Amino acid sequence: MNMETLIEILLVEDNPRDAELTLRALKKRNLTNTVMWVKDGAEALEYILGENADAQRVNQHPKVILLDLKLPRVDGMEVLRRLKADERTKSIPVVVLTSSREEQDIVQTYGLGVNSYIVKPVDFDNFSEAVGQMGLYWLLLNQPPEPVSAAA
Amino acid sequence: MGDSQKAILNILDDSSAEKLRIEATQKAILNILDDASAEKVKIEATQKAILNILDDSGAEKLRIEATQKAILNILDDIGDERDKADHLNSEMAVEIAERKRVEQELETQQQELVNSNKELEAFSYSVSHDLRAPLRAIDGYGRILTEDYEGYLDQEGRRLLSVISSETQRMGQLVDDLLTFSRLGRQQLQSSDIDMTTLAQAVFQEWSALDAYRALQLELKPLPPARGDRALISVALGNLIANAIKFTRNRDPAVIEIGSRQENGLSVYYVKDNGVGFDMKYAHKLFGVFQRLHSTEEFEGTGVGLALVQRVIHRHGGRVWAEGKLDEGATFYFSLTDMKGEL
Repeated sequence: MNMETLIEILLVEDNPRDAELTLRALKKRNLTNTVMWVKDGAEALEYILGENADAQRVNQHPKVILLDLKLPRVDGMEVLRRLKADERTKSIPVVVLTSSREEQDIVQTYGLGVNSYIVKPVDFDNFSEAVGQMGLYWLLLNQPPEPVSAAA
Repeated sequence: MGDSQKAILNILDDSSAEKLRIEATQKAILNILDDASAEKVKIEATQKAILNILDDSGAEKLRIEATQKAILNILDDIGDERDKADHLNSEMAVEIAERKRVEQELETQQQELVNSNKELEAFSYSVSHDLRAPLRAIDGYGRILTEDYEGYLDQEGRRLLSVISSETQRMGQLVDDLLTFSRLGRQQLQSSDIDMTTLAQAVFQEWSALDAYRALQLELKPLPPARGDRALISVALGNLIANAIKFTRNRDPAVIEIGSRQENGLSVYYVKDNGVGFDMKYAHKLFGVFQRLHSTEEFEGTGVGLALVQRVIHRHGGRVWAEGKLDEGATFYFSLTDMKGEL
């Protein structure tokens, strides 16, 4: 991976089908050039906060993190908790993109400081529309926070 | 004077002395007799006293005997009472043990119910996540196929793919409905006073918005207030109204009447429509889960709506039933008991 390429979207999704559909929806809006896809919570944390992550990567945060909740190894809720608890990453917008409509999930994620919660529709048109709109919003319309530099 | 005279004088002296002696002796005897008689009187008096004492002690003895008898009776009664008390005690002990056993059983059952509920929660949660994902994939990939291989598909090919898509939608709807049904049955009731007239108005507005283009006519009579869980009653009313709107699709105007009447002191609410109605001989099937009286071609639906209504109404301790006639509309009635003090 080109270290110069700025990653704008970090997609945390364990289901390859859902990942493919999400990427396709983003592609329709020409937003896929800068998507990084990781398959579980541990990989996500490693990518953003990891000891092995190079300083540049830590410095240049994605504009938005798309986070599924049900993930193997480290689940979405834990990733959210860690990201929002860390001074370096807590201002990165996190959008939960999940099948769950359960109230407990919604309440808990907002309690942890999630920026948005989207329920993946079963209908593909609606799903495509939702992802597209979300992508346009966070990448183009929303003003991202200033990247926080890691402690030297 | 001679010796004879002296002798006579001596004899006279002696006899007078003798007389004195005899008189003295007589006196003494009389005194002794007097003493004896006084003594006799004293003895008599003492005898009388002794007899009196004997009499008194006799009476006393009788009194003591009577008291003894009374005490013995009391002791007997006490013995009887103690026996009775002992008997009652052992009966109560048995009852208490029985009651404890029943309490224990209830506690166990309650714990089982709590566990069962927790399992259902976990199950619903899992369903919520895990069933929807494959459905989304089926629908999504079908669409991708349609989009990316448009050139290779004729009309029939596109139709087949659209069937895949619509069936997937339907399953998604079923999953949602089942989850709602399950949750409604489990969640805690929160009771409050409900203005049924404004609620019915609001619910109708919500559901008719989707069919704004149609000639929908609402006849809302003033409804008596009810007491129950507002959110749940709202869902129940919503389903009844949505049904009325759906099954009057082919009517112009579609007339939906919401009113109430009193039955045995209870308020009975009803939602009446002039739609396609139903055959009363299938009335018992109306409220079953996934039970439908129409094909999906005629009218879409999963058959959960009325089951939901029934569940909500039953949780409020009420009744729900329907009357209908083929092609002449249907009326759905429900009552809610007064939940004061129960929630």
